[in-house]
Amino acid sequence: MAVNPYESREGRLHFLAEVTRRQFLLIMGWLGATVVTIFGTAKVLQFMFPGATSEEPQAFKVSVDPASITIGNPLQITAKRTSIVRDDGGFYAVYLVCTHLGCTPNFTTTVTQGTGVADAVASARGERGSQGQPNGWACPCHGSRYFIDSTNFYGPAPRPMDWVDVQFAPDGFLVVDRGKLVVQRTPGDTTPPKWRLDPTTKKDNGQTLGV
Amino acid sequence: MNASGSRNPVSKFMSQVWGSIFRHGLPTTDKVAARTALTNFFLHIHPVRVKKSAIRVSYTLCLGGLSFFLFILLTISGLFLMFYYIPSVDQAYQNIKDLEFVATFGLVIRNLHRWAAHGMVITVWLHMARVFYQGAYKPPREFNWAIGTLLLLTTLLLSFSGYLLPWDQLAVWAITVGTNMAKYAPIAGPYTRYIMLGGRNVGQGALIRFYVLHVVALPLIGFILMVVHFWRVRKDGFTGGL
Repeated sequence: MAVNPYESREGRLHFLAEVTRRQFLLIMGWLGATVVTIFGTAKVLQFMFPGATSEEPQAFKVSVDPASITIGNPLQITAKRTSIVRDDGGFYAVYLVCTHLGCTPNFTTTVTQGTGVADAVASARGERGSQGQPNGWACPCHGSRYFIDSTNFYGPAPRPMDWVDVQFAPDGFLVVDRGKLVVQRTPGDTTPPKWRLDPTTKKDNGQTLGV
Repeated sequence: MNASGSRNPVSKFMSQVWGSIFRHGLPTTDKVAARTALTNFFLHIHPVRVKKSAIRVSYTLCLGGLSFFLFILLTISGLFLMFYYIPSVDQAYQNIKDLEFVATFGLVIRNLHRWAAHGMVITVWLHMARVFYQGAYKPPREFNWAIGTLLLLTTLLLSFSGYLLPWDQLAVWAITVGTNMAKYAPIAGPYTRYIMLGGRNVGQGALIRFYVLHVVALPLIGFILMVVHFWRVRKDGFTGGL
Protein backbone atom coordinates (compact mmCIF):
# COMPACT_ATOMS: atom_id res chain seq x y z
CA MET A 1 0.00 0.00 0.00
CA ALA A 2 1.35 3.35 -1.00
CA VAL A 3 2.38 5.79 1.69
CA ASN A 4 0.19 8.87 1.94
CA PRO A 5 2.75 11.73 1.72
CA TYR A 6 0.69 13.96 4.01
CA GLU A 7 -0.80 11.77 6.67
CA SER A 8 1.81 9.11 7.13
CA ARG A 9 4.57 9.97 9.57
CA GLU A 10 7.10 8.77 7.00
CA GLY A 11 5.44 10.82 4.25
CA ARG A 12 7.46 13.34 2.29
CA LEU A 13 5.03 16.18 3.03
CA HIS A 14 4.06 15.19 6.54
CA PHE A 15 5.27 18.48 8.00
CA LEU A 16 2.56 20.28 6.04
CA ALA A 17 -0.13 18.30 7.79
CA GLU A 18 1.15 19.55 11.14
CA VAL A 19 0.68 23.23 10.26
CA THR A 20 -2.05 24.61 12.46
CA ARG A 21 -4.76 26.92 11.18
CA ARG A 22 -3.12 29.84 13.05
CA GLN A 23 0.28 29.11 11.49
CA PHE A 24 -1.31 28.80 8.07
CA LEU A 25 -3.07 32.18 8.41
CA LEU A 26 0.15 33.79 9.68
CA ILE A 27 2.14 32.41 6.75
CA MET A 28 -0.51 33.57 4.28
CA GLY A 29 -0.70 36.95 5.96
CA TRP A 30 3.04 37.57 5.84
CA LEU A 31 3.24 36.21 2.31
CA GLY A 32 0.47 38.57 1.24
CA ALA A 33 2.05 41.54 3.00
CA THR A 34 5.42 40.79 1.39
CA VAL A 35 3.95 40.49 -2.10
CA VAL A 36 1.92 43.68 -1.67
CA THR A 37 4.97 45.56 -0.35
CA ILE A 38 7.21 44.44 -3.20
CA PHE A 39 4.55 45.13 -5.83
CA GLY A 40 3.62 48.47 -4.26
CA THR A 41 7.25 49.63 -4.00
CA ALA A 42 7.91 48.65 -7.60
CA LYS A 43 4.82 50.54 -8.79
CA VAL A 44 5.62 53.62 -6.70
CA LEU A 45 9.11 53.66 -8.19
CA GLN A 46 7.62 53.23 -11.65
CA PHE A 47 5.21 56.09 -10.93
CA MET A 48 8.18 58.39 -10.38
CA PHE A 49 9.48 57.72 -13.90
CA PRO A 50 7.24 59.68 -16.28
CA GLY A 51 6.38 57.64 -19.38
CA ALA A 52 6.29 60.82 -21.43
CA THR A 53 7.60 64.29 -20.68
CA SER A 54 6.21 67.57 -21.92
CA GLU A 55 9.67 68.74 -22.88
CA GLU A 56 10.17 70.30 -26.30
CA PRO A 57 10.80 67.88 -29.18
CA GLN A 58 14.37 66.89 -29.91
CA ALA A 59 14.03 67.89 -33.57
CA PHE A 60 13.51 71.50 -34.61
CA LYS A 61 13.62 73.58 -37.78
CA VAL A 62 16.12 76.41 -38.07
CA SER A 63 14.34 79.56 -39.17
CA VAL A 64 17.52 81.07 -40.60
CA ASP A 65 18.38 80.92 -44.31
CA PRO A 66 21.15 78.27 -44.58
CA ALA A 67 22.94 80.50 -47.10
CA SER A 68 23.57 83.05 -44.33
CA ILE A 69 25.58 80.50 -42.35
CA THR A 70 28.99 81.15 -43.83
CA ILE A 71 32.45 79.78 -43.25
CA GLY A 72 33.87 81.32 -40.09
CA ASN A 73 30.45 82.40 -38.80
CA PRO A 74 28.65 79.43 -37.22
CA LEU A 75 25.01 79.86 -36.26
CA GLN A 76 24.58 79.74 -32.49
CA ILE A 77 21.14 78.58 -31.32
CA THR A 78 21.81 78.82 -27.60
CA ALA A 79 18.22 78.15 -26.49
CA LYS A 80 18.26 74.88 -28.43
CA ARG A 81 21.84 74.17 -27.36
CA THR A 82 22.96 73.70 -30.96
CA SER A 83 25.57 75.30 -33.20
CA ILE A 84 25.48 74.88 -36.97
CA VAL A 85 28.94 75.15 -38.51
CA ARG A 86 29.75 75.61 -42.18
CA ASP A 87 33.13 74.70 -43.64
CA ASP A 88 34.51 73.70 -47.03
CA GLY A 89 32.89 70.26 -46.77
CA GLY A 90 29.43 71.48 -45.83
CA PHE A 91 27.30 71.81 -42.70
CA TYR A 92 27.48 70.01 -39.39
CA ALA A 93 25.64 70.57 -36.12
CA VAL A 94 27.32 70.40 -32.72
CA TYR A 95 25.18 69.60 -29.68
CA LEU A 96 26.33 72.19 -27.14
CA VAL A 97 26.21 70.02 -24.04
CA CYS A 98 29.51 70.10 -22.21
CA THR A 99 30.73 66.54 -21.72
CA HIS A 100 31.91 67.43 -18.22
CA LEU A 101 28.68 68.23 -16.38
CA GLY A 102 26.23 69.36 -19.03
CA CYS A 103 26.37 73.17 -19.20
CA THR A 104 26.07 75.03 -22.52
CA PRO A 105 29.46 76.16 -23.87
CA ASN A 106 29.52 79.64 -25.45
CA PHE A 107 30.89 80.35 -28.92
CA THR A 108 34.14 82.28 -28.88
CA THR A 109 36.55 83.58 -31.49
CA THR A 110 39.42 83.42 -29.00
CA VAL A 111 39.14 79.83 -27.86
CA THR A 112 42.87 79.38 -27.27
CA GLN A 113 43.26 82.50 -25.11
CA GLY A 114 44.98 81.69 -21.85
CA THR A 115 45.22 77.97 -22.54
CA GLY A 116 48.77 77.87 -23.86
CA VAL A 117 47.54 76.26 -27.07
CA ALA A 118 48.72 77.99 -30.25
CA ASP A 119 46.10 79.66 -32.43
CA ALA A 120 47.40 77.70 -35.39
CA VAL A 121 46.49 74.44 -33.65
CA ALA A 122 42.91 75.63 -33.21
CA SER A 123 42.67 76.95 -36.75
CA ALA A 124 43.97 73.67 -38.14
CA ARG A 125 40.98 71.89 -36.60
CA GLY A 126 38.62 73.24 -39.24
CA GLU A 127 36.97 76.44 -40.31
CA ARG A 128 38.29 79.71 -38.97
CA GLY A 129 37.13 83.27 -38.90
CA SER A 130 37.74 85.52 -41.89
CA GLN A 131 40.73 87.00 -40.05
CA GLY A 132 41.88 83.54 -39.03
CA GLN A 133 40.41 83.71 -35.54
CA PRO A 134 40.60 80.49 -33.54
CA ASN A 135 36.87 79.72 -33.28
CA GLY A 136 35.53 77.29 -30.71
CA TRP A 137 33.47 76.99 -27.56
CA ALA A 138 34.19 77.73 -23.92
CA CYS A 139 32.07 76.32 -21.11
CA PRO A 140 31.07 78.96 -18.52
CA CYS A 141 30.72 76.44 -15.67
CA HIS A 142 34.21 74.96 -15.29
CA GLY A 143 36.15 76.44 -18.19
CA SER A 144 36.38 73.55 -20.65
CA ARG A 145 37.36 74.60 -24.18
CA TYR A 146 36.49 72.95 -27.47
CA PHE A 147 37.87 73.41 -30.97
CA ILE A 148 35.41 74.15 -33.78
CA ASP A 149 35.21 70.42 -34.59
CA SER A 150 34.01 69.99 -30.96
CA THR A 151 37.23 68.33 -29.79
CA ASN A 152 38.03 69.18 -26.18
CA PHE A 153 41.52 70.49 -25.52
CA TYR A 154 41.41 72.32 -22.18
CA GLY A 155 39.63 72.06 -18.84
CA PRO A 156 37.86 69.14 -17.17
CA ALA A 157 35.78 67.96 -20.17
CA PRO A 158 36.58 64.26 -20.66
CA ARG A 159 35.67 63.94 -24.35
CA PRO A 160 34.53 65.90 -27.42
CA MET A 161 30.99 67.19 -27.72
CA ASP A 162 28.61 65.17 -29.88
CA TRP A 163 27.42 66.04 -33.36
CA VAL A 164 23.73 65.72 -34.15
CA ASP A 165 21.87 65.14 -37.38
CA VAL A 166 21.10 68.12 -39.59
CA GLN A 167 19.22 67.83 -42.88
CA PHE A 168 17.57 70.02 -45.48
CA ALA A 169 13.79 70.22 -45.22
CA PRO A 170 11.88 70.25 -48.55
CA ASP A 171 11.44 74.03 -48.19
CA GLY A 172 15.20 74.56 -48.09
CA PHE A 173 15.56 75.26 -44.36
CA LEU A 174 17.66 73.14 -42.04
CA VAL A 175 16.17 70.65 -39.59
CA VAL A 176 18.25 69.56 -36.60
CA ASP A 177 17.44 66.36 -34.75
CA ARG A 178 19.16 66.33 -31.37
CA GLY A 179 17.81 62.84 -30.74
CA LYS A 180 20.00 61.44 -33.49
CA LEU A 181 23.76 61.56 -32.94
CA VAL A 182 26.01 61.31 -35.98
CA VAL A 183 29.33 61.69 -34.19
CA GLN A 184 30.05 60.49 -30.68
CA ARG A 185 33.69 60.29 -29.72
CA THR A 186 35.16 58.61 -26.64
CA PRO A 187 37.71 60.24 -24.29
CA GLY A 188 41.03 60.86 -26.00
CA ASP A 189 39.60 60.53 -29.51
CA THR A 190 40.68 63.65 -31.35
CA THR A 191 39.89 62.38 -34.84
CA PRO A 192 38.36 65.19 -36.90
CA PRO A 193 34.92 63.81 -37.87
CA LYS A 194 34.19 63.62 -41.60
CA TRP A 195 30.40 63.79 -41.43
CA ARG A 196 29.05 66.71 -43.51
CA LEU A 197 25.77 67.85 -45.00
CA ASP A 198 26.49 68.87 -48.59
CA PRO A 199 24.76 72.16 -49.48
CA THR A 200 24.66 71.37 -53.22
CA THR A 201 23.41 67.77 -53.22
CA LYS A 202 21.36 68.47 -50.04
CA LYS A 203 22.48 65.07 -48.70
CA ASP A 204 24.86 64.06 -45.93
CA ASN A 205 27.86 61.91 -46.72
CA GLY A 206 26.88 59.31 -44.15
CA GLN A 207 30.35 59.22 -42.53
CA THR A 208 29.16 58.83 -38.97
CA LEU A 209 31.63 58.21 -36.17
CA GLY A 210 31.16 56.16 -33.04
CA VAL A 211 27.38 55.78 -33.33
CA MET B 1 -4.29 82.41 39.64
CA ASN B 2 -5.80 80.09 42.20
CA ALA B 3 -9.38 81.29 42.38
CA SER B 4 -10.90 78.29 44.09
CA GLY B 5 -12.31 80.49 46.78
CA SER B 6 -14.15 82.70 44.32
CA ARG B 7 -17.90 82.27 43.97
CA ASN B 8 -18.09 84.13 40.67
CA PRO B 9 -18.99 81.39 38.10
CA VAL B 10 -17.11 83.20 35.31
CA SER B 11 -13.87 83.46 37.20
CA LYS B 12 -14.39 79.91 38.45
CA PHE B 13 -14.69 78.75 34.84
CA MET B 14 -11.66 80.80 33.82
CA SER B 15 -9.55 79.37 36.59
CA GLN B 16 -10.67 75.90 35.57
CA VAL B 17 -9.53 76.59 31.99
CA TRP B 18 -6.24 78.01 33.23
CA GLY B 19 -5.76 75.07 35.53
CA SER B 20 -6.42 72.57 32.73
CA ILE B 21 -3.66 74.12 30.66
CA PHE B 22 -1.18 74.89 33.43
CA ARG B 23 -1.47 71.93 35.77
CA HIS B 24 0.94 73.32 38.30
CA GLY B 25 1.77 76.77 39.48
CA LEU B 26 5.26 78.15 39.32
CA PRO B 27 7.42 75.55 41.03
CA THR B 28 8.51 76.38 44.55
CA THR B 29 10.20 73.11 45.39
CA ASP B 30 12.34 70.65 43.41
CA LYS B 31 9.53 68.12 43.52
CA VAL B 32 7.00 70.51 41.97
CA ALA B 33 9.58 71.61 39.41
CA ALA B 34 10.12 67.98 38.39
CA ARG B 35 6.38 67.38 38.15
CA THR B 36 5.91 70.53 36.08
CA ALA B 37 8.55 69.44 33.58
CA LEU B 38 7.08 65.94 33.37
CA THR B 39 3.48 66.95 32.76
CA ASN B 40 4.05 69.76 30.27
CA PHE B 41 4.37 68.81 26.60
CA PHE B 42 6.76 71.63 25.80
CA LEU B 43 8.91 71.13 28.87
CA HIS B 44 9.05 67.34 28.86
CA ILE B 45 11.81 67.36 26.24
CA HIS B 46 14.10 68.65 28.99
CA PRO B 47 15.37 66.18 31.53
CA VAL B 48 13.93 66.65 34.98
CA ARG B 49 17.41 66.81 36.40
CA VAL B 50 20.75 67.19 34.73
CA LYS B 51 24.36 67.50 35.82
CA LYS B 52 25.52 71.07 35.95
CA SER B 53 28.63 70.17 33.97
CA ALA B 54 26.50 68.74 31.14
CA ILE B 55 24.78 72.02 30.42
CA ARG B 56 27.98 74.03 30.30
CA VAL B 57 27.81 75.87 26.96
CA SER B 58 31.48 75.28 26.23
CA TYR B 59 30.85 71.53 26.40
CA THR B 60 28.44 71.17 23.44
CA LEU B 61 28.60 74.76 22.12
CA CYS B 62 24.85 74.19 21.69
CA LEU B 63 25.48 73.25 18.06
CA GLY B 64 22.63 70.74 17.91
CA GLY B 65 20.31 73.25 19.52
CA LEU B 66 21.42 75.92 17.05
CA SER B 67 20.76 73.55 14.16
CA PHE B 68 17.26 72.86 15.51
CA PHE B 69 16.66 76.57 16.05
CA LEU B 70 17.63 77.23 12.43
CA PHE B 71 15.36 74.41 11.30
CA ILE B 72 12.43 76.07 13.11
CA LEU B 73 13.41 79.43 11.62
CA LEU B 74 13.58 77.86 8.14
CA THR B 75 10.18 76.20 8.59
CA ILE B 76 8.51 79.45 9.59
CA SER B 77 10.24 81.67 7.02
CA GLY B 78 9.69 79.00 4.35
CA LEU B 79 5.99 78.96 5.18
CA PHE B 80 5.85 82.68 4.51
CA LEU B 81 7.75 82.32 1.24
CA MET B 82 5.21 79.72 0.11
CA PHE B 83 2.47 82.36 0.12
CA TYR B 84 4.18 84.10 -2.79
CA TYR B 85 6.09 81.36 -4.56
CA ILE B 86 4.59 79.36 -7.44
CA PRO B 87 6.75 76.45 -8.69
CA SER B 88 6.29 77.26 -12.37
CA VAL B 89 9.10 77.98 -14.81
CA ASP B 90 7.12 80.98 -16.08
CA GLN B 91 6.49 82.49 -12.66
CA ALA B 92 9.06 81.30 -10.14
CA TYR B 93 11.73 83.91 -10.90
CA GLN B 94 9.19 86.74 -10.94
CA ASN B 95 7.78 85.49 -7.62
CA ILE B 96 11.23 85.79 -6.08
CA LYS B 97 11.47 89.34 -7.43
CA ASP B 98 8.03 90.06 -5.96
CA LEU B 99 9.22 88.75 -2.62
CA GLU B 100 12.18 91.08 -2.76
CA PHE B 101 10.55 94.23 -4.07
CA VAL B 102 6.77 93.98 -3.64
CA ALA B 103 6.00 92.14 -0.41
CA THR B 104 6.57 94.06 2.81
CA PHE B 105 9.52 92.50 4.64
CA GLY B 106 9.68 89.93 1.82
CA LEU B 107 13.36 90.63 1.35
CA VAL B 108 13.95 90.04 5.05
CA ILE B 109 12.00 86.78 5.03
CA ARG B 110 13.80 85.54 1.93
CA ASN B 111 17.22 86.41 3.29
CA LEU B 112 16.37 84.91 6.66
CA HIS B 113 15.56 81.70 4.85
CA ARG B 114 18.68 81.89 2.72
CA TRP B 115 21.14 82.68 5.49
CA ALA B 116 19.52 80.28 7.94
CA ALA B 117 19.91 77.58 5.29
CA HIS B 118 23.61 78.35 4.90
CA GLY B 119 23.92 78.54 8.68
CA MET B 120 22.20 75.21 9.23
CA VAL B 121 24.60 73.42 6.89
CA ILE B 122 27.47 74.94 8.88
CA THR B 123 26.07 74.20 12.35
CA VAL B 124 25.11 70.62 11.44
CA TRP B 125 28.65 69.97 10.18
CA LEU B 126 30.15 71.56 13.29
CA HIS B 127 27.77 69.59 15.51
CA MET B 128 28.93 66.41 13.83
CA ALA B 129 32.58 67.41 14.24
CA ARG B 130 31.99 68.22 17.92
CA VAL B 131 30.36 64.84 18.52
CA PHE B 132 33.18 63.11 16.66
CA TYR B 133 36.04 64.83 18.43
CA GLN B 134 34.48 64.21 21.85
CA GLY B 135 33.91 60.57 20.98
CA ALA B 136 30.21 61.02 21.69
CA TYR B 137 29.36 58.61 18.88
CA LYS B 138 30.62 55.65 20.91
CA PRO B 139 28.25 53.13 22.55
CA PRO B 140 25.59 53.55 23.78
CA ARG B 141 25.16 56.44 21.33
CA GLU B 142 26.12 54.68 18.09
CA PHE B 143 22.49 54.47 16.94
CA ASN B 144 22.02 58.19 17.42
CA TRP B 145 25.21 58.84 15.45
CA ALA B 146 23.67 56.89 12.56
CA ILE B 147 20.47 58.95 12.84
CA GLY B 148 22.69 62.04 12.88
CA THR B 149 24.38 61.11 9.61
CA LEU B 150 20.92 60.74 8.02
CA LEU B 151 20.01 64.16 9.40
CA LEU B 152 23.16 65.61 7.86
CA LEU B 153 22.19 64.05 4.52
CA THR B 154 18.65 65.44 4.85
CA THR B 155 20.07 68.89 5.58
CA LEU B 156 22.31 68.76 2.51
CA LEU B 157 19.48 67.52 0.29
CA LEU B 158 17.24 70.31 1.58
CA SER B 159 19.96 72.80 0.76
CA PHE B 160 20.43 71.31 -2.72
CA SER B 161 16.72 71.14 -3.56
CA GLY B 162 16.12 74.69 -2.35
CA TYR B 163 18.89 75.94 -4.63
CA LEU B 164 16.81 75.31 -7.78
CA LEU B 165 13.67 77.11 -6.66
CA PRO B 166 14.62 80.75 -7.51
CA TRP B 167 14.92 79.53 -11.12
CA ASP B 168 17.74 81.89 -12.06
CA GLN B 169 20.79 81.02 -14.15
CA LEU B 170 22.77 79.97 -11.08
CA ALA B 171 19.97 77.63 -9.99
CA VAL B 172 19.39 75.96 -13.35
CA TRP B 173 23.04 75.32 -14.09
CA ALA B 174 23.90 74.27 -10.55
CA ILE B 175 21.18 71.62 -10.73
CA THR B 176 22.31 70.67 -14.25
CA VAL B 177 25.80 70.12 -12.88
CA GLY B 178 24.58 68.40 -9.72
CA THR B 179 22.29 65.96 -11.50
CA ASN B 180 24.98 65.23 -14.08
CA MET B 181 27.27 64.26 -11.20
CA ALA B 182 24.58 61.78 -10.12
CA LYS B 183 24.57 60.51 -13.70
CA TYR B 184 28.21 59.42 -13.37
CA ALA B 185 27.17 56.72 -10.86
CA PRO B 186 27.47 53.24 -12.38
CA ILE B 187 24.29 51.61 -13.75
CA ALA B 188 21.79 53.61 -11.63
CA GLY B 189 23.28 56.98 -12.66
CA PRO B 190 21.16 57.83 -15.72
CA TYR B 191 18.00 56.55 -14.00
CA THR B 192 18.78 58.64 -10.94
CA ARG B 193 19.09 61.76 -13.08
CA TYR B 194 15.86 60.99 -14.93
CA ILE B 195 13.91 60.38 -11.71
CA MET B 196 15.31 63.57 -10.14
CA LEU B 197 14.51 65.76 -13.13
CA GLY B 198 11.33 64.01 -14.27
CA GLY B 199 12.77 64.43 -17.77
CA ARG B 200 15.99 64.87 -19.66
CA ASN B 201 16.72 68.50 -18.90
CA VAL B 202 16.23 70.85 -15.98
CA GLY B 203 12.72 72.10 -16.72
CA GLN B 204 9.22 72.22 -15.26
CA GLY B 205 9.36 68.55 -14.29
CA ALA B 206 12.51 69.14 -12.26
CA LEU B 207 11.16 72.32 -10.63
CA ILE B 208 8.00 70.71 -9.29
CA ARG B 209 9.90 67.65 -8.08
CA PHE B 210 12.49 69.71 -6.25
CA TYR B 211 9.71 71.89 -4.81
CA VAL B 212 7.76 68.94 -3.43
CA LEU B 213 10.95 67.44 -2.00
CA HIS B 214 11.98 70.77 -0.51
CA VAL B 215 8.72 71.82 1.14
CA VAL B 216 7.13 68.49 2.09
CA ALA B 217 9.11 65.28 1.72
CA LEU B 218 12.52 66.25 3.10
CA PRO B 219 11.27 68.42 6.02
CA LEU B 220 8.95 65.57 7.03
CA ILE B 221 11.78 63.04 6.92
CA GLY B 222 13.96 65.50 8.84
CA PHE B 223 11.26 66.06 11.45
CA ILE B 224 10.75 62.34 12.07
CA LEU B 225 14.50 61.77 12.30
CA MET B 226 14.83 64.72 14.69
CA VAL B 227 12.13 63.34 16.98
CA VAL B 228 14.04 60.05 17.19
CA HIS B 229 17.34 61.93 17.55
CA PHE B 230 16.13 64.01 20.52
CA TRP B 231 14.47 60.98 22.11
CA ARG B 232 17.78 59.10 21.93
CA VAL B 233 19.68 62.09 23.32
CA ARG B 234 17.39 61.99 26.36
CA LYS B 235 17.52 58.20 26.71
CA ASP B 236 21.29 57.94 26.28
CA GLY B 237 21.74 60.62 28.89
CA PHE B 238 24.26 63.38 29.39
CA THR B 239 27.75 62.53 30.44
CA GLY B 240 28.86 66.05 31.11
CA GLY B 241 32.35 67.41 30.94
CA LEU B 242 35.23 65.09 31.50
